Amino acid sequence: MSYTLKGRIESRLVSALPALIVAFAIHRWWAVYLVAIMLAVGAALDATVYDRLISYQPAWLAVPLGALELALLYGIMRAIPIHAPLDAALALFALAWLSAQLFAHAALPRLQLTYAEAGGELGRSGVLAAVLVPVLVFIGVGGAYATRAPMIHLHGVVRGPIVVDRAETLVGGTVRGGIVIRSSHVTLRHVTTVGGVNGIDVENATHVMLDHVRVLRAETDGIHVRNSGVMVEHCMVADPAGPWVQGIDISYSIGRPTSMVSGCTVAGVREGIVTHSAEVNVMDNHVLDTTLRGIVLGEMSMDMASGNDVESAQGVGILCLDHSMCQIDHNVVAGTKVDPSGDPARAGVAIEAQYYAQAAVGHNTVIASPGGTKQYSSSTITR
Amino acid sequence: MSRAGAAPSQTAERAAIVGSGLTALAAFATLRHGGLAHEEIVVFGTDADPTEQWSRQAAAIRQRQMRSESDGHLAPADFPGLALRAAWRRRSLRPLLETASRGYHPRVDDFLAHAAEVRARSGFDTSFRRRRIARIEAVDGGFVLDGDGPFAHVFLATGHPGRALPDELAGDPRVVHAYEPHDYASHVAIVGAGMAAAAEWQNALAAGSSVVSVRRREPVRQALNVPRPLFSRRGLAAYHRSPREQHAATLRRLSAPSFPPDERFDALIASAAAEGRFHVAAQLNGAEQVIAATGFRRGYRHDALLAGLVDRHELDVHDRWLVLAPDSTVPGLTDERRTLSVGGVAGQWAFPAADTIAGAKYAARRFLERVCRTR
Repeated sequence: MSYTLKGRIESRLVSALPALIVAFAIHRWWAVYLVAIMLAVGAALDATVYDRLISYQPAWLAVPLGALELALLYGIMRAIPIHAPLDAALALFALAWLSAQLFAHAALPRLQLTYAEAGGELGRSGVLAAVLVPVLVFIGVGGAYATRAPMIHLHGVVRGPIVVDRAETLVGGTVRGGIVIRSSHVTLRHVTTVGGVNGIDVENATHVMLDHVRVLRAETDGIHVRNSGVMVEHCMVADPAGPWVQGIDISYSIGRPTSMVSGCTVAGVREGIVTHSAEVNVMDNHVLDTTLRGIVLGEMSMDMASGNDVESAQGVGILCLDHSMCQIDHNVVAGTKVDPSGDPARAGVAIEAQYYAQAAVGHNTVIASPGGTKQYSSSTITR
Repeated sequence: MSRAGAAPSQTAERAAIVGSGLTALAAFATLRHGGLAHEEIVVFGTDADPTEQWSRQAAAIRQRQMRSESDGHLAPADFPGLALRAAWRRRSLRPLLETASRGYHPRVDDFLAHAAEVRARSGFDTSFRRRRIARIEAVDGGFVLDGDGPFAHVFLATGHPGRALPDELAGDPRVVHAYEPHDYASHVAIVGAGMAAAAEWQNALAAGSSVVSVRRREPVRQALNVPRPLFSRRGLAAYHRSPREQHAATLRRLSAPSFPPDERFDALIASAAAEGRFHVAAQLNGAEQVIAATGFRRGYRHDALLAGLVDRHELDVHDRWLVLAPDSTVPGLTDERRTLSVGGVAGQWAFPAADTIAGAKYAARRFLERVCRTR
């Protein structure tokens, strides 16, 4: 079809309606932001690139153009950033792309006989769409902005523990005694905690974001998550208050949105990153000098450990435990030490499946870990 | 300019279509889609079957595939196209993949079957009256067609005004027009370089003949009759804005013979040329058969109905073209209460590819808008 610029933009606005309706219907502000960015990126490309370079657009071209727009959208999402679940964001983009195809090739030519001849221009309906869709997007984005969680800047050292029981964003500062999160839609950014039973305790909450947090001197767990969905990015857990302290423990959260631990450094604790009955993606973390295990994916969890560096763990580097199903790939496990207990399952094993666990492993690098990759107690490891 | 005359008694029909070919069927189906009842439309023509003339010509040049693509059908809305219909009928995704990559061209029999379906579904036959209209008279609020009427809205779909035959070929007993039924002698000269000529080169070679292609200029290789942007407002906006002489120059340039690029076709011609069975020449030689693939006569003057209309109402013309508004209406005879629209080849001033199915629908859709506006 040979679009005019006006036709391109009007067609784009009209065919964004299904994605916009879904974005409003699911009550997630990221979805409204995403549709707004999709429209902005698309309209900018229409005006600056497509209209100049594409005088006739065959149907197949929608595929590479869609891929280009997806790449730009992803880049902008990361740059802003918009914390959207990747699979849901992709589904929303797929819906918008598919709607655009169905509108352009079926619905609009059916509803308006002159659609193709008019270069995609929609006449009065187009004018209506040109007003309605931006107004809806503006209302959505404005609503999201107006009702966004309040942002509180912490300065200096604050006496804790702090209990967060409403949606809000805490930025900066040092909290002594830990932070307890009891509400969904809470974000901690560049916050340091010192001491506390748990450095950060998240219970019964979803859409919790821990971004660039530092947890020091925790007494039980550095980051303790129960029945919740969290995203932990670029954190540091170190200097535990005792020998039994765990780094990051996400447990009993099956049924909650998938959690993610990414880009964190965990050092000197008993277990670095541990899950029980949870769905967690453990990616690109640096875990070192643990005294029991580096990373544990345990107790009927369905987890992934990918791109992690596990150094100098005592006994076991990465463990898939107790009926769990684990995907373990592209990790580097180095210098896993033999435990003096004499237990062969702790004899410097880099990657281990234990007690009816199923681990799929691939592309891992194992260095100076005498136990290698092992399976025990009716477990299976597939490569 | 005469616009008013004695108005005979008002008829029940509001719209009349003059002509009964493919353009007329497209216009009729479009009007029906727009909500007009059978009783509100009358079709005057000589052929009860709107595909008759076209299919005779297609059969003469052994055409099996359309040059047009999935949307080259006569139904009012572009969707569903012929590719989707073929995919559904054959339970195959292939037509859809082909249309996505611009490689789908409907088979002639599929096109004709679909045309028959449109004809039946729209009730074309109910409104058809076998009659050749020889005179159109503009009267107050409409048009009288050979004494019938007045009709508030008239759509002219008179088709091509006869086959073109160069003067030097007239009376030559060896000559047959490509669109007449014919076989192939062992040495054939084919005059012309458009779609019909290209089809005839293939046919004659397949029949074992040796072929001389007589042409004055090299054909343009393009997928459709005109560049794609000229099928939509993207190209049409500038075309409609252009001054008259430039407008006419564009039409002259676009009237150059053309046919689509096709590697298999090129390989066939190259192989025949290598065998000495295909030559190009600027003039006729002593071939035992001459096939004139020279298309149709050009210009409104060759159409008695249009010529009379222009002369009687002193309509605006430029060179061989009837000057039309961008919506395919005749400006001097169209106002708030009446419409005279021109579809088919005579409507080129409004839409350069007027002699295609897309052109027929372009004029028909704008005619429908005017008819609906005055309901």
